[in-house]
Amino acid sequence: MSEAKRVLLVEDNEMNRDMLSRRLQRRGFEVGIAVDGAAGVEMALTGGFDVVLMDMNLPEIDGWEAARRIRAGEEGKRVAIIALTAHAMQGDREKALAAGCDEYDTKPVDFERLLGKIAAALGGSP
Amino acid sequence: MSGRTSAVGELRHTFRTPVNHIVGYTEMLLEDLPPDDESHRAPLKAILDAAHDALTQISAVLVPSETPATETVRRLYAELEEPQARIIRAVTSLISAQDLGESAAEDLRRILHAAEQLRPAGIDTDAPAEPETEPADTRPAHVLVVDDIEDNRQLLKRRLERQGLTVSTAEDGKRALAMVEAEAFDLVLLDIMMPEMDGFAVLERLKGNKATRDIPVIVISALDDVASAVRCIENGAEDFLSKPFDPVLLKARVGTSITKKRARDRERAFIESAESVAAAAAAVEAGTYRTGSLGAVARRGDAVGRLARVFDAMATSIRAREQLLHERVRALQVDVARAREAQPGAKADAMPQTGERISGRYEIIETLGRGGMGAVFRARDSELNEEVALKTLKRDSLNDPAVLERFKSEIRLARRITHRNVVRTHDLGEYEGGYYLTMELVEGITLRELIDTRHKLGVESALAIGTQLADALVAAHAEGVIHRDVKPHNLLLDASGTLKVMDFGVARLSERSAGITEVGLVVGTPAYMPPEQLLGEEVDARADLYSAGVVLFEALTGRLPFDAGTPMLLIARLLQEEAPRARSVEPSVPEELDALIAQLLAKKPDARPQTAAALRDRLAGIAPA
Repeated sequence: MSEAKRVLLVEDNEMNRDMLSRRLQRRGFEVGIAVDGAAGVEMALTGGFDVVLMDMNLPEIDGWEAARRIRAGEEGKRVAIIALTAHAMQGDREKALAAGCDEYDTKPVDFERLLGKIAAALGGSP
Repeated sequence: MSGRTSAVGELRHTFRTPVNHIVGYTEMLLEDLPPDDESHRAPLKAILDAAHDALTQISAVLVPSETPATETVRRLYAELEEPQARIIRAVTSLISAQDLGESAAEDLRRILHAAEQLRPAGIDTDAPAEPETEPADTRPAHVLVVDDIEDNRQLLKRRLERQGLTVSTAEDGKRALAMVEAEAFDLVLLDIMMPEMDGFAVLERLKGNKATRDIPVIVISALDDVASAVRCIENGAEDFLSKPFDPVLLKARVGTSITKKRARDRERAFIESAESVAAAAAAVEAGTYRTGSLGAVARRGDAVGRLARVFDAMATSIRAREQLLHERVRALQVDVARAREAQPGAKADAMPQTGERISGRYEIIETLGRGGMGAVFRARDSELNEEVALKTLKRDSLNDPAVLERFKSEIRLARRITHRNVVRTHDLGEYEGGYYLTMELVEGITLRELIDTRHKLGVESALAIGTQLADALVAAHAEGVIHRDVKPHNLLLDASGTLKVMDFGVARLSERSAGITEVGLVVGTPAYMPPEQLLGEEVDARADLYSAGVVLFEALTGRLPFDAGTPMLLIARLLQEEAPRARSVEPSVPEELDALIAQLLAKKPDARPQTAAALRDRLAGIAPA
């Protein structure tokens, strides 16, 4: 058994956090939680996470800005970032990728699809 | 930060987030079910189905390319009612069964909570939508948060700013009142419990001031202090919110208050605009209206704006028409003056006939003229002590009792025509077995005399004559009177250039039972009559329009469209030949006027302009070459 992959969930909505973290844990992920952009950047840069699930619609420092700040840091260059947004607007995906995210998905989350994207972002490594 | 988010994006986020919760928790519960647990699987699947239906609606209604209108959101709320009900039904049945275990029950309550957020209670989707005729006010609403506690202020500020609102804060009542005086706010969020000046006092001051009383106020009270909230609402507050804030309620109530405020603002602007249109109407009546002075109102996109634009255009065209007529009449005055100079002996030649009193009332002063049907005299009406024209009618014209009766009724109608371009008909009386007619005395010359003197008139003069003739016909036709004998001889021009049509109704005298065989005997010339009249057919108002066409043709060219040696030959040509174009005779005639005359001279009434008003409008639109 390889070591559990570590996922950082950056999400300000409590129910989203609860639901998504539990579902990820059930699938064997180790889940870290940040409730806003600043904490997300801090944890992503120091926590040794493999994947960041970044809600884009955060107060103060929003997801795009947080992604940019993560990418600006040393450890942040290695971590995979998947943007999540309930806006689901055209151009959101491009904006997310431009901000340094590797993938993008919409809420409500299609969980199986999200798992596929996480696996892809992890580069197929088990 | 808010620069990244569009209004529709915000709305999508708001609506999709609870769906996300519902789907996520439901899927988890489904994962936990034993494979054979169909009794729980069915309601959970029902929840998922309903959630996906809701999502479909959200995506369909909140189209990314469109700015969402209040109506859109209202429609979405209405669409979500049904899936929401299905979710709540299924989840409540699962909760009440109490057989899924405590942790599942907790997730079911979360689903229920999310379902309730999908469509806040109290949304009235049946209320009629506000007509969105005005462009929506795109300025972000300005909200003032009044709270003595720093954290509360910042929390509210953050939340409201995320809604796209502009937020200012005040830490006490005095500061709040000063800010409201200085700046325009769309909403005040007011904490009740504050030291020194509390929320009640602030509310009282806001509502007591005319300048601020229309700003909606939402009061913030502790959850257990409903009494205070009620007292505030009784004192004019729009709504209340209890602490701790429910973000959905906050958003809904703030949004509703601002929408209402904007609707009121629009309503007030609407009323002000309508008042300015009414004022403009009064100004037109008073003759002081300046065109274009409705500028701001006319730019409105709604019905009042349309009204203002139409109104302004009408006032402008009326003014232009008056101006044009004024200029044309002035040109005509010059022609009249010249014609008078050219025939200085005209009046002296008239045979004077003095002294005789008719019907004991009209004293003959002088003879003004003699025509085919009788003579015209200047007479003094001794009862009213004013001069009138008195026209004697040849006895033999009235031998036929049917003709006489028709003539009398026509004169009764003609007496009703009151118009500056119509010679007023006064009385019909009997004189030595014959009849006479008294009418307004016009000091002037006939168009016949003018044309004979000047040969042809300029375009301006012809237009002035045509316009005034058309105006006269509009008034007469409105009274049901057709002239039947419009010709230069019956058109009087006074020294001011005003044209007056005389002998309305008199032409009835020359009508007999047959048309063509006798017309040459009765009427001096059929040159001005339309084919249907010559043929003895029923005539209507369009006969006068044909005659007006001949008058215009003659005034412009100095000749008649048809000419022949004998009346019978003339009638034959008139019935068979197409009239020549005025422009071919007189090249200075503008093309539009030429085309109009050709239409007036159409053999078939249906091919002519159909009303005198249409003729008048067409003439008004013609610019001299």
